[in-house]
Formats: sequence, C-alpha cells, structure tokens
Amino acid sequence: MTGERTAHEKARQALEALALDVLDVKDQAGVLTHLASCASCRNELAALQATAAQLSYAVRPVQMSDSQRDRVRALLLDRAAADDAPTPDGRTVPEPHPTPSFHILFPHTPAEETLPHKNAKTATTWVAVAACIVALVSAVTLVRVRRERDTFFTAYQIALARNALVDSLRVSLEERNRLVVNLTGSHVAVINLVSNSVASLSARMFWDQSANVWTFVAHNVPAHKTGRTYQLWLVTAKSKISAGTFAPGLNGDAIARATYALPKSALIAVAVTDEPAQGSAQPTSIPILVGVNSTR
Amino acid sequence: MADDAALLRQLAEGDEQAFGAFYDRWNPLVNAVALRILRQRDDVEKVVEETFWQVWRQTERYEVSRNAVQTWLLTIARSRALERRHTRKQLRENPLDDDIGDVVVQGGTESNLAMNVESTERRRVAIAALAELPAEQRAVLELAYFEGLSQSEIADRTGQPLGTIKARVRSAMQKLKGRLFILREEAR
Repeated sequence: MTGERTAHEKARQALEALALDVLDVKDQAGVLTHLASCASCRNELAALQATAAQLSYAVRPVQMSDSQRDRVRALLLDRAAADDAPTPDGRTVPEPHPTPSFHILFPHTPAEETLPHKNAKTATTWVAVAACIVALVSAVTLVRVRRERDTFFTAYQIALARNALVDSLRVSLEERNRLVVNLTGSHVAVINLVSNSVASLSARMFWDQSANVWTFVAHNVPAHKTGRTYQLWLVTAKSKISAGTFAPGLNGDAIARATYALPKSALIAVAVTDEPAQGSAQPTSIPILVGVNSTR
Repeated sequence: MADDAALLRQLAEGDEQAFGAFYDRWNPLVNAVALRILRQRDDVEKVVEETFWQVWRQTERYEVSRNAVQTWLLTIARSRALERRHTRKQLRENPLDDDIGDVVVQGGTESNLAMNVESTERRRVAIAALAELPAEQRAVLELAYFEGLSQSEIADRTGQPLGTIKARVRSAMQKLKGRLFILREEAR
C-alpha cells in the first residue's frame, strides 16, 4: 500500500513534465506504468496536456503566402482523394504518425466520445483496449531496454576509464622506478653545481653512466624572465653539448632529463645558462650554475 | 458555417470538401506554431501539410469530450514540428528570421474571420496567463514547449540544477492551469 502511494506521489510530481513531453526518458517507465492503473493521474495528465496545448495560442497566427497555402491545400486534397480510392490489393494505406498524446496509451472510458473512422467500420472496443495494452507494454519495454542499454554503456565507459587509469599509473610507476635507478644505481656519478649569483640556488646532476641517462635536479631556481629559459650544458674539452632547456616550478624546483652517450673521462663540467626561450646552439651568457666533474 | 466538431465528423466520413474548409480555417495558426518551433521557413510547409494529413488520417482519434478541436490540432502541429526540428538540429547554428510572429492574419474569408474571433480570444487568455508567471518559469515553459528540451537539457542550457528546473516546470504548469481556468471563466 505504501509502495503504491509512493508510486502515485512520484508519478504525480512528474505529470507536468510528461504533459509537456519533457520528462527525461529514464523517469518515464515508472510514471507510465502507474498511469495505466490510476484514473486520477490520467485525468490530471489530460488537464495538464490541455493546459500545455494552450501555449500554442500565445503565438501570433501567421498567414502563409497565397501560393504556399494553395500548394499545400492542393497537395492535401490530392492525397485525400487518393486515400479514399481503394488500393489495388485492397489494403488500406498506413497511417503517417501516431497521435502525439498519451491518450492513445490508455483505454477510453465510456463517457469519451470519439468519431467513427472512415476506414475502420468493424473496429470494436475490445480491439482498441487490446491495442492500447500492447502499446503500453511496448512503450514500457522500450523504456526499460533503453535504460538497461544506458546502464551497460555507462558501466562499459567506467571500465574503460578504469583501465586507462591503471595503464597510466603503471607507466608512471615504471618511470619512477627508472628514475630511482638513474639516481641511485652503482654506475651513477653525482656532480654538485653551485651558483655565484644566487646564494640559495643549488643543483645536482646524476649521470647514470651505464644507461647514458642524465638527471638534473635543482632547488630555489628563480623564475626566468619572459622570453627566456634555462639551458643545461655538458662541457667537454672540445665542445659544450646542450642537454636541453628547463623551467622551474612555482616552488622553484626543477628537474630535467636527457640521454646522451659520453665517455667517462670526457665530461669536464656541467653548467646552466640563461638563454632565449627557444634555446641556443651555444651558451650566450655567463653560467648561473656550474659543477665540475671531480670523478674523471 | 459548420463548426469544428461538425467538420471533423464530415472528415471522418471522407468528405474532402470539409477537409479543405478545415484547412482554410486553421492553416494560419498551424503555420505560426510550426514557424515558432522551427524558426526557419524551409520546413514549415511540410510540417503544415503533415499536420493536416494526420488530422485526415486520424480523425477517429479525436476525443470530443476531452479537448477543443484546435487544441488537438495544435498538439499534432507541435509534435510534428519538434520531430522535424530534432531531425534537422540546425536551429542553434542559424539566426532567427526577423519577421517571425510579426505577420498578422488578414481577415477576409468567412472561415478565417471565425477562426480569428475564437483564436484571438484564446490568444488573449494564453498571453495573460503567461504574463502572470515569473520570468524564470516562463523561460522554462518556452524551452520545454517550443524547443522540445527535456528537463535535463533545460538544466544544461540554463546552468540551473535539475531539481530547480523540475520545480519550475511543476509550478509553472500548475499556475498556468489555474490561471487559464479563471481567465476562461471570466471571459464567459
């Protein structure tokens, strides 16, 4: 009993939206099921549908052009004449659309007067009732199937998102593991960099000589000026090799990684210079950080 | 001159002349509703044709005790127009026609004059009832009725919570129902 009352109240709250035909699909099944057994809600729905239809009257009537009006009129009368004529195989022409009203879902009460149909002389009330029941069951089934389809689709999307997240975490974890090895492995040389211009600025270069991987970590790096960037250099006796550019985070920390093969004895020093945003082929300013390779 | 119910009875018997008379009487209003929903003239003619064709084919479904003939007719017109609009989905990319809704029906034929008297009164009542609604409730009804948006879509469009939209729909419809009843009673 309580369940019925709850269903009634829920349906009642949705009738206005249903009358306007704006009730979300997921909410329709319960309301339609309730309407099939509740005359009170059906009457309220009919009243609300009549109310909704009045909104059309708020629109100012607009006359079609004479030619347009006459063309549509002629088309309609031609179709009507053809519709009255018997078809070669004796069948009636199918109807164009269902009536846009929930009235068709429910049996008519005896008090409701309907007009006889020109092509349905033998139609009886029980046939209409049966058709209505079939229509109702079909509508409810359709809504249910759509809802289940939506549920499965949502679950599928969630599963895909979870798989993507797991893959992403796995990649991230592998990257972290590699970083730890590049920083702490037995073949890693560490070069400390110091700054003459910024007292608090400090950095270290971790050179994994077995993997030719360079990991540069810096702290308290000042934000670079607009249009400028920091560039990392591997300094040998013959050249200064760019190991890439980097920018500090908001907290002044910076990390840069590069892969470059270099003989153990070739590296003299590591340096950082201030360069144009796109980087330079060779250093163009005095280094703000320098670290001498003491392991040669 | 036959009233609408009489015309529909003739339609049900296959009277094409009555069908023509019914079309002559109501095509301006059906045209206006289709134009208001579609906002482009291209598809309106087809919607008008399909609306009247559905009336011809489904006359027996009209329930005399339930609604006025024109209410039934306009319900069909709205449904056909929204169907075409959903299929086309071009509205948001296209600007409104400037002259939509500004063309007034010119009286002339007997049936148009009769339609004018009744629909003008209905229009007056509908506009008066709508005018008494708060602006946000009117806006929700506009989006629902003339643009065919679901409650969730209205919430997305307006940026309002779904619960707020549902409450506005309920409140607007109940107020409208009450006001229309009172205004019709006063007009009698």
